[in-house]
Amino acid sequence: MLKRKFFILTLIVLLLTSLVVGCSSGEVENLNSGGETNTGSNQTASKNEGSVKEEIVDIEVWKTTNGKKGIEKGSPLYDFYVDKLGVGVIHPYVDWNGGTGYLNQLNLKIAAGEMPDLFLPWGGIETDLAKNGAIADLTDLLPEYAPNLWKRVPQKVWDVVKANDPTGKGRIYYVPGFRDYGVQGGLIRKDWLDLLGLEMPTTQEEYVEVLKAFKTKDPNQNGLQDEIPTGGREDARWMDHLFAMYGIAMNEGFPDWDIYDGELTYSAVTPNMRDALQFISKLYAENLLDQETLLNNKKAWDGKINSGLVGNYFHFTWSVGNRLADIEKAFGVKGDISVLPLPKVPGYEGFYSYKPTLDPKWVVKNNQDEKKLMATLKLLNNYADESRWPDLYFGVEGMHHVVKDGKRVRLPDDYSTMQNDNVLIPYDDIGTLEYKSELLMDAASEDTMWFMEQNVRDLRDIQQHVKAIAGDGMPGSVYEDYPDIRSASLYVEYATKIIIGQYPIEKFDEFVERWNKSGGEEVTQKARNWYQNLGK
Amino acid sequence: MGKLAFNMRKYWPLYVMAFPGTMFFILFKYIPIGGSVIAFQDYSVFKGITGSPWVGFKHFIYLLEYPDFYRVLRNTLIFGFLKVTIMFMVPLILALMINEIRHSLLKKGIQTSLYIPHFLSWVIIAGIAFEMTSLSGLVNTIRDWFGLEPMLFMQMESYFRPMYVLTGLWKDAGWGTIIYLAAISSIDPEIYESAVVDGASRFKQMIHITFPMLLSTAAILFLLDIGNFMELGFEHVYNLLTPMTYSVGDIFDTYVFRTGIQQARYSFATAVGMFQAVVGLTLVIVFNRLSRKVSGGGLW
Repeated sequence: MLKRKFFILTLIVLLLTSLVVGCSSGEVENLNSGGETNTGSNQTASKNEGSVKEEIVDIEVWKTTNGKKGIEKGSPLYDFYVDKLGVGVIHPYVDWNGGTGYLNQLNLKIAAGEMPDLFLPWGGIETDLAKNGAIADLTDLLPEYAPNLWKRVPQKVWDVVKANDPTGKGRIYYVPGFRDYGVQGGLIRKDWLDLLGLEMPTTQEEYVEVLKAFKTKDPNQNGLQDEIPTGGREDARWMDHLFAMYGIAMNEGFPDWDIYDGELTYSAVTPNMRDALQFISKLYAENLLDQETLLNNKKAWDGKINSGLVGNYFHFTWSVGNRLADIEKAFGVKGDISVLPLPKVPGYEGFYSYKPTLDPKWVVKNNQDEKKLMATLKLLNNYADESRWPDLYFGVEGMHHVVKDGKRVRLPDDYSTMQNDNVLIPYDDIGTLEYKSELLMDAASEDTMWFMEQNVRDLRDIQQHVKAIAGDGMPGSVYEDYPDIRSASLYVEYATKIIIGQYPIEKFDEFVERWNKSGGEEVTQKARNWYQNLGK
Repeated sequence: MGKLAFNMRKYWPLYVMAFPGTMFFILFKYIPIGGSVIAFQDYSVFKGITGSPWVGFKHFIYLLEYPDFYRVLRNTLIFGFLKVTIMFMVPLILALMINEIRHSLLKKGIQTSLYIPHFLSWVIIAGIAFEMTSLSGLVNTIRDWFGLEPMLFMQMESYFRPMYVLTGLWKDAGWGTIIYLAAISSIDPEIYESAVVDGASRFKQMIHITFPMLLSTAAILFLLDIGNFMELGFEHVYNLLTPMTYSVGDIFDTYVFRTGIQQARYSFATAVGMFQAVVGLTLVIVFNRLSRKVSGGGLW
């Protein structure tokens, strides 16, 4: 009887304890952050002797995430940004997942009334937010409180932003990116070409011969026929080079808008696309295109490239360096990844697409809190200050870079220790080609120079093959009411099936018809109206 | 009313114990039903429920006019049908088979290994499915031994439904046997003894005793499955889906997720959810009536 009573008593005590612990964890956190703000204000207090009182305001910032850790208050990257930019940046870890993960989380936060103070709008949500007054009207705020940023972006780009105002009043609701140089292109293992005694292909025929040689002649010299001549990722993305040959405007694998037959048209419904898909399905059938292309997610495809199995791929020219480092680790070979000039296809002018006016980079919450609004503008102002860019590029010492022989050297990406410094990358968002090249060369050490040089060389080389497409700067509001057109889901369905041979190429005509009927016609009309109003 | 008050005073400890559960249902299941009103509005998070304009059946009409509506509906119905027939039969048959195992340790071992996949999430199971059918995966390696060309099953329409059934069975068939095994163990052993006396073989015993006694349990579970007809497991299908298999795999849940949730079109997503719920409710009521007529018993 006594044992039983004791047992019951223990249970009750356990229950009560867990209740207390569970309910009080909030208080414990408050205590911690209370302690930190105390030390924070102590630091600013000591700085204040002799300088104007400046309080560090924390704002929540959301931007592209890449698997690296978030930025909490008091962490190394937080302190770094406070030091260099004078604002406390809080950045939670959000799974990017091709953008859809980020968008989901962002929408959730917005619906819960917890919109971040400064964030990257994705999937065209800035249109809705602007219309509902949820984001700040920056037209007058930027010139006054963020003059660096205002002057940095060319006036003609601001004009485009004003023209894109969803409320139609010519106000500025987002900060555009601006990059006057192309950064993505077809890249090929030149060392494999040299090994096999082949010239860089100039025509489509030669290109196919090169692919065949890659497949059969074992250029990675491991005795296995495991080479993948070329390929891409799911949704038929990141194989843009195969479309680019046919003059198809594409943005990271999504069809875009350009002038076809004298009119602004969606590239997916042009005869160019038909021929391109036919070519690609031939490559797939002959095993020259990775058979798992349409099942490759980013990790899988990157893994294949970085482990030295792929001959030709499409991606950013400035990430060539990191890949070469991985390939050296895998095969002990110092590869050479060069730009692939577009092989000529009879009857078509090929080009790699780029959009000088990048998609919106930032929107600012229509903050009721004056202090936070000012802090956000201050951050934008300092972010655009070119003198601070080298510091931002190199990041935190010990985490993102080390000092060797008095020079700063950028460390290779390590997702388990590094925090996400992709949050503030003004040299990419609004920088120039010259600046980026210099930055990359500066960051190289003796060991890394051999591939950093290739980064810079490829960055420069691609410029002769890129073209700014006419769809540059088109607002997301063109797709309003037609989310399926915006997400190109019909295109993906048909393209993927045609590529793997499940549909004959004749089905393409059916796709064009369906696309037009399910809103494509309306969207095209709106796009053409926008283009005409640009006064071009 | 007086009777209820008297009842409550007399048995108040029981009411106190039932209170949290009842509150849970009211708070989390019944009150949110009020939120379904946004299916009839053009809901905007900035205007809230009271501020958003009323649009009546606009979203339902949009759904019905969607060119692929019939495709999505057809896929949903087919998967539901598969779930309620094949995937319903297998646990029953498995339970009968497990029951025949004499060796106690072997029986327990098999049962445990059958339940374990139930605890894995769909992300893992789909990941395993993709890996096993990849070019270097187990399935294609075996095909290679027989001199067959490798096939990428996950991007082929004709294999999607079999994959759905196979993965669904692997995950949940074992779990489903639990209830049946419990029912079997409650059958009076004397019935078996008298059957042996009458000269019945093991097989005949299974058909004439075990199976009929399980029927009433099976009927209840069947009804519950029908009620869940429209709930095909968003996670299940979403993780297995690729754009190449949309035409056979896209169901209401995945369609709504892509266009509704991801694009923050909450009104539309709610309208579709409501449509599904109405269909599911109708089915349950109809089958319950049928079940009462046919076997005299039903869910209620």
